[in-house]
Amino acid sequence: MSWAAHDLEPYAIQKHTRIKLAFVPLLIGSYSPDMMSKWFVYGIHLGPWDLKARDPAQFHRGWPGVGFTHSLIFGVVVCLLLWKVVGSKTWGVSFLIGQWAHALTDTGDTVGTMLLFPWTQHFHLDAWAYAGQAGRFTDAAAYFSGLGGMWDAVFLVYGLFSWRVLTARYFDEVIYPADRFWSFLNRLVPRAGLIALYRAAFFYGSSRWVAWTVWAHLVKGYPYDLSWGGPHWVQAAHP
Amino acid sequence: MRLRPLIRGRDALLPTRRQLAVFGGYLAAAAVYVGIGVYEVDFLLSYWVAVAYVLVTVWIVPSVVRRLR
Repeated sequence: MSWAAHDLEPYAIQKHTRIKLAFVPLLIGSYSPDMMSKWFVYGIHLGPWDLKARDPAQFHRGWPGVGFTHSLIFGVVVCLLLWKVVGSKTWGVSFLIGQWAHALTDTGDTVGTMLLFPWTQHFHLDAWAYAGQAGRFTDAAAYFSGLGGMWDAVFLVYGLFSWRVLTARYFDEVIYPADRFWSFLNRLVPRAGLIALYRAAFFYGSSRWVAWTVWAHLVKGYPYDLSWGGPHWVQAAHP
Repeated sequence: MRLRPLIRGRDALLPTRRQLAVFGGYLAAAAVYVGIGVYEVDFLLSYWVAVAYVLVTVWIVPSVVRRLR
């Protein structure tokens, strides 16, 4: 799984896609495959109960499970719903692109995604270890010690080079006119607040990339292992 | 070979002084966020916490300070 790429990718996609995109559904699409499932993958304590998937990787990415949220067809279905039911083609297409980016990015780990669901074949590049079953903190340490963290770093550096997409001017000229959501929200929130909201996902992705890296390597002393499929000090899950 | 001019605006190669000041504000907010997050990692887990933090530190607090001046 990826930690910061899903926060950062929408800014790069927004910049390079020639068609009109709305940023909010693009970001929702980028987050959507994990929205309902991450808590059950890592597990939570609810009073006397511990709720956690028996096989986190299977639940998260497989079938039976909610792995279909990481398939291309899931994006198409939600896209058509947004287009035909809600009546916004821009929202539909933007969601689709964000969700596809997530599904494709997650093929980088050792579990991969069922891109062509209902065909349940997992597509996986095995570049970094999937360690969701080890719990949230071990997963974070593993992710930021392997090529997954480096993949996030690519988008972080790329975002900083593409700093113009984060400027107020870009927001005024590209982001705001592309989506009526912003003018609706502008009735309640002034422009400065909207710009802060627009930048929030980039702030979140880049700040926690730094924070998790510092925590994993300077505080906890986990070793880097940038070999293919690493880090190998954690038990990687496979489909 | 033609050199690309250092134009201002959306296609500018370099940020303006004002844009650098805004970036500095976000950088300071990020440094505090990272510090809190490293000390208490649960702080890093929620997107909504981060959104609230950004709104407070880079919009609400500066707006209040400007109004009080």
